[in-house]
Amino acid sequence: MTPGEAFLPIERDLQRFKEIVRGEVKKRAREFLTREELFGQVEGRLVSIPLPQLEIPKIVYGEPLGEGLGLGGPGDEALGPGGHIPVAELELEEFLDLVGEALRLPRLRPKGEGEVTEEAFRYTTLARKGPRGLRHVRRTLKESLKRALLSGEYRPEVPLLVPEPEDLRYKAPKKKPRPHAQAVVLFALDVSGSMREEELRLVKTLSFWITLWIKRHFPKLERRYLLHDAEAWEVSEEEFFKAREGGGTRLSSALLLAEEILKAYPEAFYNRYLYHFSDGENWQGDTPLALEALKRLLPSLALYGYAQVEGPYGRGQFFEELAEALGGQEGLALAEVRGREDLPRALRQLLGG
Amino acid sequence: MKALLPWIETLRERAQAEGLTFPPVLFEEVGPEEMAMLAAYGGFPRRYPHWRWGSEYLRYRETYRYGLARIYELVVNTVPVQAYLLKGNTLLAQKLVIAHVYAHADFFHNNLAFKPIPKDMLSEMAHHAAYVERAMERHGARSVEEFLDLVLSLENLIDPHAPYIQRPQEEEVPKPQDRLRVRPYLDPYVNPPPEPPKEAEEGAKPQALPPRPTRDILGFLARYAPLAPWQKGILEIIREESLYFAPQAATKILNEGWATYWHTRLLLPLLTPKEAVDFAEMQAGLLAPHGLNPYRLGYLLLKEVEERWDKGRFGPEYEALPLGERLRYERPTGEGQKKLFQVRTVYTDLNFLEEFLTPEFALRHRLVSPEELPRFAEAKKALLFRLTNAGYPIVELVDANYQNRGELLLVHTYEGVELDLRKTKAVLENLHRLWGRPVHLKTVVNGKETLLSAG
Repeated sequence: MTPGEAFLPIERDLQRFKEIVRGEVKKRAREFLTREELFGQVEGRLVSIPLPQLEIPKIVYGEPLGEGLGLGGPGDEALGPGGHIPVAELELEEFLDLVGEALRLPRLRPKGEGEVTEEAFRYTTLARKGPRGLRHVRRTLKESLKRALLSGEYRPEVPLLVPEPEDLRYKAPKKKPRPHAQAVVLFALDVSGSMREEELRLVKTLSFWITLWIKRHFPKLERRYLLHDAEAWEVSEEEFFKAREGGGTRLSSALLLAEEILKAYPEAFYNRYLYHFSDGENWQGDTPLALEALKRLLPSLALYGYAQVEGPYGRGQFFEELAEALGGQEGLALAEVRGREDLPRALRQLLGG
Repeated sequence: MKALLPWIETLRERAQAEGLTFPPVLFEEVGPEEMAMLAAYGGFPRRYPHWRWGSEYLRYRETYRYGLARIYELVVNTVPVQAYLLKGNTLLAQKLVIAHVYAHADFFHNNLAFKPIPKDMLSEMAHHAAYVERAMERHGARSVEEFLDLVLSLENLIDPHAPYIQRPQEEEVPKPQDRLRVRPYLDPYVNPPPEPPKEAEEGAKPQALPPRPTRDILGFLARYAPLAPWQKGILEIIREESLYFAPQAATKILNEGWATYWHTRLLLPLLTPKEAVDFAEMQAGLLAPHGLNPYRLGYLLLKEVEERWDKGRFGPEYEALPLGERLRYERPTGEGQKKLFQVRTVYTDLNFLEEFLTPEFALRHRLVSPEELPRFAEAKKALLFRLTNAGYPIVELVDANYQNRGELLLVHTYEGVELDLRKTKAVLENLHRLWGRPVHLKTVVNGKETLLSAG
C-alpha cells in the first residue's frame, strides 16, 4: 500500500489468507525439501507455491467445456466457473524461515565482525534542495528565524515566520559504511565408485538447502566445489553434480585442498563452511592423515559438516572414526543419509542443530 | 474527477436521448489498490470476512502491478447504480468507461433477468458482513470461518430460477400487518412459519421432503439442517448472495456487448481526430479475438441483430433461403433499433446465442472456416452447454429421507460430461458435516451410473 492511502478493509482478509498460507507451507515443509523445481534458481526472489488444498471444492465438471472452432477454446477464464488454484507467492526469505521453523533448522550466527562491504544511505544531513516530502520543518523555520532576526523583521509580539525559498532545508542522505558478515561454503564430494544417481540426488538436495540456508543468514555467500577420489581437484558447480566414477579414496586429499582453497577467505572476514559428502570408505592408513588435517582446520571453520551417504553396498567406517576422534567438538556436524526420509534430520544436523 | 463531471453530464444526456433508461449513477474514482479490493469483493466496498477475498485481492493486485491486466471500471447493480473508475486513466478512457457504465446501468434496469433482484444490495452486503462479524465475536472467528468454508463449497447449489417463481402459497401466511418487515434471512425467525399440523392427525399422509425435487439445496439446508441459528443465518446469506450474482453470470456476453455497442455509438461522434486513433486502439484491445471474449462476441452479435432487422433479414421468407442467398437478401424495414432494445430486455446469453449465433454470422466473423461448417452445430451446442447454469452441473435434491434413514439423496442431471470426482467427493463430505447424516449423489462415473456417498 502506498503511504497516505487509507487502510483497506480487505487487508484483514489478506492477512488471514497469508496466515493460512504460512501454516500450510509449514505443514508441507518436508515435502518441499525434495522439490527444488519449485524454486528455480537460488537467486530468484519470489517463490510461487501452488496450494490446491486451499481451493474451496465445488461440484464442477471434470473436463473443460466448450471446445470447438473459433467459439472459444478451453482455458480462457472470462466465462464459466473459473477455478483458480490459489498460488502463494512468498519472498524467498520468508519461505525459508517458515521451512526452517518447521524443520527446526538452527539459526547461524556470524563468527567474526565481517568485512566492511556495504554502504547504506542514512538521512542524517541537510540539503538546500530536495523533494517536498523530505522538507525539514524545524530547520527551515530556524533558518527563517535567523534571517528575520538579521534583517530586523522579527517582532516577538507577532512571531510570524514566512520561509523564503533560501530558508528551505531538506533531509539528505549520506553514505554510511555498514559492516556486513560474509561467508564462504565449500562442498567436497567423494566420487570413488559407490555414488549412484540416487545418492547424488540426495547430495544435490542437501547442498541446495545448505546453500539457501547459509545464504539466508549471510547474503554475501561464495560457493566453491571440489571432487576427490585419491586426489582432489576443484570443479564448477555444474560439474559437481554430474555422476561419475573414480578410483580409490583418500579423504585427506579433499581436506588438504580445502585448506588450500580457504586460504583465500581469511577467517577474520569470512564465516567458513566446509561440507564433505562421502560413502565413508577411506583407504587404510589415510584416516589418521584426514583426522589430523581436520583437527588443524576445524578451529578456523564456522562448521565442518560430514555427511555419510550410504548406498546399498554397505557403509564405510569414517563416520565412526570421526565421531570417536572428534565427537562433541564445536563446529563438527555429522549426519548419515540413507534415503529421502533422512533429509530433514540430516539437514538439521549438518547445519549444527 | 472534476474534469470528468461535464462528460458525466453530456454522456448521460446523450444516452437518455438515445432511449437508454437507468436510475441515477454515482461515479467514484479509485486507485488501483482499491480497485483490486472492489474487484475481489465483487464490486462491493464491504463483504463478510473471509480469506478467499484476500487471495483474490492479491491476484488482482499482482496482475495489475505486473501490468498483465487492468480493471478499467466496475459497476454494481444497485439503486442508485454505483460505478468505480480507475484513477489515472486517460480522459478518453474515462469517457469510454462512463458511456459503457450507462449502458450497463440500462441493462440492469431493464433486462428481465434482473427483475426480482434486490436493488439495495450495497447495504444488504454490509448487513451480511455485520452479521458474520457478530457471529465471529460470539462463536469464535475460527469456527465461523470453518463453517463458511463448508457453506462456500455449496454456494453453487442454488436454484437460480427461485426468485422468478411465484407459487401459490400453500401454507397460511400471517396477514401482512402481523408480519414484521425484516431482512429476508431474518424473516423465518421473526415471522416463523405456522406450526406444522400435529403428526398424530389421523390419515395424514407423511409428506415427502422435499415435496418435489429441488435445486435450492442451500435454501433447504437453511430450513431443515440441524444447525444453530447463526449457522442457518450464514446459509441464508450465502444463498442470497449467490442468487444476486446469478443473473450477472447468465448475461455476461449480452451485457458487455450492449455496453460496448453503446459506448461506441455514444462516443464516436464526439471524438477529435487524435482521440479517434486512441479510441480505435482501445477498442481493438477490448474486442481482441482471444478465446471466448464476451465483449467481442456480444458486440458483434448485437451489430448483427441490428443489421439483420434493419435489412429485413428475418421471418419465414428469409429463413427458407439457402445460406448463400441469405447474405444478399434485403428488404429494408429499419427495425434494427426496436429489435435491439427487445433483445436487451428479454434475452439472456443462452437464448441470445441460441437464436442469433447463426452459421452465416460465424462464417462472416471467421469463427469457423468454410471447411469447419459441418461441425458448427456441434460446436455451438458445446458453447451453449458451457453457458447453461453458468457452466456448473445441475444437481437436485430428490429425497431428504433416503431409504427412510434421514439421509440425503442428490441427483446429478447427467448430460454427457462427468463430474470432477475429487472435488465432488470433498463437497459431499462437507454436505455430510452440515446435514449430520450420510449423503448420496447419483451421477455417472466412467460411463456407469454410480452412487457416491459420504458419511
